[in-house]
Amino acid sequence: MPMEVKLLSLEGDTIRFLVKGCDTAFANALRRTMIAEVPTMAIDDLFIFDNSSVLPDEVIAHRVGLIPLKTDLDSYVLPERCECQSDLGCSLCRVVLTLDVEAGEESRTVYSGDLVSEDPAVVPVSPKIPIVKLAPGQALRFEAYARLGVGKDHAKWQPVSMCIYQNLADIGIDEDRCTGCGSCVDACRYGVLTLEDDKPRVVDIYSCLLCGSCVEVCPLKPPAIRQDVVEDAFIFKVESTGALPPERIVTEAVRVLLEKLDELEGKVKRGEMDEEIEPFKGLEEELGHAQT
Amino acid sequence: MIIPVRCFSCGKVIGDKWEEFARRVAAGENPAAVLDDLGVTRYCCRRMLLSHVNLIDEVLRLYEERDRSTFKEG
Repeated sequence: MPMEVKLLSLEGDTIRFLVKGCDTAFANALRRTMIAEVPTMAIDDLFIFDNSSVLPDEVIAHRVGLIPLKTDLDSYVLPERCECQSDLGCSLCRVVLTLDVEAGEESRTVYSGDLVSEDPAVVPVSPKIPIVKLAPGQALRFEAYARLGVGKDHAKWQPVSMCIYQNLADIGIDEDRCTGCGSCVDACRYGVLTLEDDKPRVVDIYSCLLCGSCVEVCPLKPPAIRQDVVEDAFIFKVESTGALPPERIVTEAVRVLLEKLDELEGKVKRGEMDEEIEPFKGLEEELGHAQT
Repeated sequence: MIIPVRCFSCGKVIGDKWEEFARRVAAGENPAAVLDDLGVTRYCCRRMLLSHVNLIDEVLRLYEERDRSTFKEG
């Protein structure tokens, strides 16, 4: 069955889309790839020259690492795939950001916007994230090395702050028995149903969270409204941290997934799978389904 | 101590929303309305701002007062 993808909404950092014609395993593979395998840029190494603030160096380093950076995936490569293979990287696999702030007569907050990047395309997604607050005379100076990385290594490289899917709902109304009392319409908190010509109508099935309230409140026995789950259709909701546009996270996840499938196919064709599955062979027989 | 950069649970950036949140709540606005306005919708992120106490301001007072005080050591 051909797979069907439909864009439902794209607002700011959030994308909603429908994937039809796949199973839960595929939907979850896509979700996990978006969370853990799509590269983004984050600060990974920090050389602190001066820190007389009230926060210790490691807390500063942690906070600076968590600042999402706008990522230019087309100009940079992952350090492990870069030809240079050096500790601090080269211009293809890292961006250097510097910060030099000293508080004068008044206390002042050091913001992410005080970071000076060598690449104007790789900057913090928001210039207003506080890093530390300095009392008069205190100073913070450091050099930061930002690299591409993936979420499975550290959550700071995760491109998403929310990435979820749920099954599509299917609501059916028995028009002959329905009295048009409207209690199901009132019970729905998500605007799925509306009353039209004294009959409930489904107007926005993609907003249904499968709560079942509409069925519960129906005064008829059995209810004249039913709510089913479409097993092979999924609604995804993805919120970007701002590092990448949400639609790019999805397309990039598909690319990464295809790359991994190609790798798997290559291993199968070259007969390299035997050594991969060798440790699990005894286990399969124990479970009683040993045929491969 | 200081507002965390991201929500502990989901990872949304909330650090950049603290100053506006604190200012508007201090001015008498309803915190729930301010959070809605800032686009902080999930309760994991909302508690980050609602429950935060900016202790760093108290710590910095030690340094600020020390510089201003006329008290001399010795």
